[in-house]
Amino acid sequence: MTSAAISSASAAGQPAPAGRADGRIDCDVLVIGGGSTGAGVARDAAMRGFSTVLVERADMATGTTGRFHGLLHSGGRYVVKDPKAAQECIGENIILRRIADDCIEDTGGLFVTTPIDDPGYADRFIQGCKATGIEVQEIGVAEALRREPRLNPRISRALVVPDATVDAWKMVWSCVRSATQYGATVLPYHEVISVIRDGSRVAGAVVRGPGGELRIRAEVVINAAGAWAGKIAAMAGCEVKVRPGKGIMVATNHRLVNTVVNRCEMPADGDILVPIRTVSVIGTTDTLVDDPDDWPISRQEIDEMLTAGENLVPGFRESRTLRVWGGVRPLFQDEGPAETRDVTRAHAVLDHRARDGVEAFLTITGGKFCTYRLMAQDAVDAACGVLGTSRPCRTADEPLPDSGEQKFYRIGSRLAGRERTLHDEQLICECELVRRGALEEAIARRGAASLDDIRRALRLGMGPCQGGFCTYRATGILHQATNLSAAEANRALLEFLQERWKGLHPLLHGDQLRQAWLDDWIFQGVLDVEHLPLAEQERARV
Amino acid sequence: MTAQAGTRAADAVVLGAGMAGLTAAVRLAEAGLRVVTVAKGLGSLRLAPATIDILGYGPGRVDSPAEALPAFVAAHPHHPYAAVTPGALADSLRWLAGHVDAYAYVGDASANMLLPTAIGVPRPSAVVPETMAGGDIRSLRCVAIAGLRALKDFHPALAAENLRAAAAAGGLALDARPVLLSPPTDGEADVGTLSFARRFEDPGFRGAVAAELRAALRDEEAVGFPAVLGFDQVRSVWTELQEAIGRPVFEIPTMPPSVPGMRLARALQERLRRAGGRFVLGAQAVGPEIRDGRLAGVRIRAGTRETVRLARWIVLATGGLASGGIEVELGGAARESALGLPVFGPDPGEPAFLPGYLDEHPMGTIGLRVDARLRPVGRDGEPVRQNVLAAGAVIGGARPWREKSGDGISLSTGYLAAGTILEDAG
Ligand SMILES: Cc1cc2nc3c(=O)[nH]c(=O)nc-3n(C[C@H](O)[C@H](O)[C@H](O)COP(=O)(O)OP(=O)(O)OC[C@H]3O[C@@H](n4cnc5c(N)ncnc54)[C@H](O)[C@@H]3O)c2cc1C
Repeated sequence: MTSAAISSASAAGQPAPAGRADGRIDCDVLVIGGGSTGAGVARDAAMRGFSTVLVERADMATGTTGRFHGLLHSGGRYVVKDPKAAQECIGENIILRRIADDCIEDTGGLFVTTPIDDPGYADRFIQGCKATGIEVQEIGVAEALRREPRLNPRISRALVVPDATVDAWKMVWSCVRSATQYGATVLPYHEVISVIRDGSRVAGAVVRGPGGELRIRAEVVINAAGAWAGKIAAMAGCEVKVRPGKGIMVATNHRLVNTVVNRCEMPADGDILVPIRTVSVIGTTDTLVDDPDDWPISRQEIDEMLTAGENLVPGFRESRTLRVWGGVRPLFQDEGPAETRDVTRAHAVLDHRARDGVEAFLTITGGKFCTYRLMAQDAVDAACGVLGTSRPCRTADEPLPDSGEQKFYRIGSRLAGRERTLHDEQLICECELVRRGALEEAIARRGAASLDDIRRALRLGMGPCQGGFCTYRATGILHQATNLSAAEANRALLEFLQERWKGLHPLLHGDQLRQAWLDDWIFQGVLDVEHLPLAEQERARV
Repeated sequence: MTAQAGTRAADAVVLGAGMAGLTAAVRLAEAGLRVVTVAKGLGSLRLAPATIDILGYGPGRVDSPAEALPAFVAAHPHHPYAAVTPGALADSLRWLAGHVDAYAYVGDASANMLLPTAIGVPRPSAVVPETMAGGDIRSLRCVAIAGLRALKDFHPALAAENLRAAAAAGGLALDARPVLLSPPTDGEADVGTLSFARRFEDPGFRGAVAAELRAALRDEEAVGFPAVLGFDQVRSVWTELQEAIGRPVFEIPTMPPSVPGMRLARALQERLRRAGGRFVLGAQAVGPEIRDGRLAGVRIRAGTRETVRLARWIVLATGGLASGGIEVELGGAARESALGLPVFGPDPGEPAFLPGYLDEHPMGTIGLRVDARLRPVGRDGEPVRQNVLAAGAVIGGARPWREKSGDGISLSTGYLAAGTILEDAG
């Protein structure tokens, strides 16, 4: 991968991290992990004037953050079971709507009592909402069905809460942009391979990147590696029990609902249907796995998701399923319950000095996407403590780049933009309305050689045809816009096809199978990609 | 309620209007039989490069399909080619060449050409439109791959660089470079293949392209174009362009919609019309019509209306997984969608797909099995019905895109299915 560092000269006059040429960087704060938490921490630390470096082993938001359910919780889900988490959610929900509107679609949320749910739960739910400060309004079943005509007509109650959906990639990249504006250095494709210790102190980390190894020395290291936090802690000689709780989700090719629809019941599997851009996503599950990097998705789990979808929207099973994917929750658990749903969704900042006698090393773990800002605030507050200073957090007030005008995105936003440029610009991905200019801009901005990185930035190839038409076009444009060799462009294409295949093959059937076969016809029958010339080492990789 | 469309039985109902269905229908209609072609859509030819690939890989690259086929069939006893004799294959190729009026098809089963794809991979093909044959990389020294700025489905720089690398890897000295042309498109930035094909039929547009090219070309350079050089008038467009620039020009198949595929579909549809064949579009076969234990016809649905078409013979050319001829449910249960004939796919318990995109997925060869006369057979190997014949991708046992055998299978089995019926008709 040739992704360069994303950094900028410090516009705001903040101290920029020093060094680089000799394979060394010195900074105040080193953040490990480029998910929502790490990106939030880097922004917060940079805004408080610390020279900050973030390292991420792959692209930004490719861990759990890029593989989640897309929900900006109102907190409703947790009001009965975990009021503390609920309170955090609603607090952050309100803040993020203010500072990150460009990353949010204000869909609203519904909690509905379906025929398999305990009818009494709704009352406890309403009480819980009141206790935690979540606005809730009961509407009649007829009104709920008018708003969401595909909803199961046999629901008995419907409650409206301020759920919304959030574009994780946009949010993370907005944090990165803001952080770099404040002088931070963000290094995707830099994996921590060891933690540097100076006696009882952690003094930085050694990372492996495209240009070889780098020694990054820092005054304080913040471990924001999500489900991998335990592995990083172990490198520093500390034990942190983060249990990876796997969840899967299935996307259908339609927006079956326009509101987030939750079952009004204690949290269970497959109880939320989320409209995301042009698709709907049912999820999720929760099973403990041993290794956050290696876990299977079984046909039975997929089948359970389809059944769960059927309960919310009759006919769900017959709709066209696009792909399945999963992520692993970073569930922090020192001692206690073995069932992952019983672990609190609230977060924890661990100062390893008190815990393990290891100084200048913090782990921020647990939590949720929608509480990333608060998690970052708590972590950087703790870092201030380590550094012996006190600087106030400003992330609750200062909007992210492109946000701050209460302009939530809408499903039609891209179409409206497209109509204005119909004659001036090519449409590269028809499903997701990706324009050539946007693609070229993303390639230039990222300096990326990976179409999958571009996909996350633009949703390229995420619609019904799953890349059948846009992949070749995007490869051609990538090859021209960068100084990639054809062999590298070929590899980018084959890797993208492989990445798409990963989410497709476990549930391939019906219309989507037909589509996948048409796509293969294009790639193998028309283009003959099996015989693309690759450099030897690239052939081995694909 | 099912109505009956016409009381007289047709001699044959052909289901599907891709390469296999159209070939069978035209051949039957031209022999004077009463043929009705029923198709859901205009068939896969819209996607096809329209080269008649017989066998390109098996699994090593094949230089002569005719020589390679006997061993290939012996190794793949359930492959559709097992029902196609070398003589029948050659007949079908001749037949096709005689049925496309727009331009000539050249080549035969004895040798593959190596023609560049839109991404620059030399791809083995046996019988191809004359406008493409000049792209055989073994006869090229120096080539400019010409792109059109407003055409997003053809990327000349990538194609040229890949072509150079592939040729070098094959020990050939081929110099390939891109040339990007910007002929006037009335201000439109996004012009599709079909629209370009129409524009190329305009002498003014062609003149502008030729002028731009003349300025850009080096001596001795042949020119590879995306396959958009005209539609009905492809032959004159191609010839005049070569004359105008004084260089050989060849076409390279593009991403769908494929202009050469549409030319071929148009040619066969036109022949069918001229021979008096009936064509029912937008209708789908949904089941067999059984009378007195015999297959008497098929049930056809158009919109919400269901009718019965009686026929002495049914040619099943509905295509494979990509066309909906074979449907697979979650869990792997498969059915043949028109008549419910037995499908041979991965065994229960066997994974249908493997984790690698380019792996050989067990699902890839799903389809019907046929006997030597192309009658679909059951698990016992015996024909299920005497008067149903299968042609094209609905027959399993092949990996057409991998083997580069798709249109060869469809043409030859479509041709043979008609042959079986004609034999029977005396
Ligand atoms: C199925 C599922 C659905 C969910 N749905 C929702 C939802 O709807 N709403 C919500 O708010 N929350 C949801 N969550 C929770 C939410 O996704 C996570 O809590 C959040 O994304 C975690 O972010 P993170 O930054 O802590 O972790 P991650 O995004 O996993 O980031 C950690 C990063 O560390 C990197 N890393 C690991 N090892 C190294 C190393 N050695 N060197 C460098 N980098 C390293 C990883 O590559 C990774 O990118 C869901 C979780 C799951 C599993």
